[in-house]
Amino acid sequence: MEKEENIKSLKLQNKLEELETISVFLEELAEIWDIPLALTMSLNLVLEEAFTNVVNYAYTDQDLHSIGIDFEKTGNILSIKIIDDGKAYDPTQNADPDVTLSAEERSIGGLGIFLIRKMMDEVTYQRADNKNILMMTKKLTFGS
Amino acid sequence: MLLTIKKHSSYSIIEAPERVDTLLAIDFEMALLDAGTHEDSNMVIDCSKLVYLSSSGLRVFLLVQKKMLAKGVKLRLCHLRPSIQELFDISGFSTIFPIFADLKTAITEIVNSDDLLL
Repeated sequence: MEKEENIKSLKLQNKLEELETISVFLEELAEIWDIPLALTMSLNLVLEEAFTNVVNYAYTDQDLHSIGIDFEKTGNILSIKIIDDGKAYDPTQNADPDVTLSAEERSIGGLGIFLIRKMMDEVTYQRADNKNILMMTKKLTFGS
Repeated sequence: MLLTIKKHSSYSIIEAPERVDTLLAIDFEMALLDAGTHEDSNMVIDCSKLVYLSSSGLRVFLLVQKKMLAKGVKLRLCHLRPSIQELFDISGFSTIFPIFADLKTAITEIVNSDDLLL
């Protein structure tokens, strides 16, 4: 297999409607790379949380921005990179919500980044060229 | 969003849709609040069709539970698929909601605990 076939990229605008583009893209990717359905759903969730955060909180203007998502498969490791030109924000520094609180005590929200960290094997952040780069990896397990 | 709702004397059953993501969460919230929380009636949300839920969807569940608790009526969930159950476990939502294996046990619990109050 050619090396390029292990790299797929997605360019999106900073609009929530692009979540549908992400879902459709992931479904196609799952077919090509043989990603199990349950894992595809988890990846969809992770990307939705990360992308929604960028669209809702990264920009201080009303302009159109481009958000890139790169997927790379190396052996059985899937790496995903989300790149945006919004204000600097490191989601890996977010405090975990207290998941032991009762319904009355729980605050609404704050779960997205926590779910990303729980679903992925590794989540790291970099700021370079005025861009946020969120890198995540997940081991692909087959046969289930 | 059109939700299937079955109203009974002491509770209503609402069927959750297949997906509750960021785009659909507001609709789901409106539909749920419309269906259940206007009246002071117990509610069971049947999650047998639900396959995809994001934090926006979890937020709706929590919001509705807060309203139901404030009113003193019961909210019960049933028939969660394994991936959804996992999400509830990770988020600590499994302890916030009484979750039942199927509709029948959820209803039985609601009806029986109501009897105890009489």
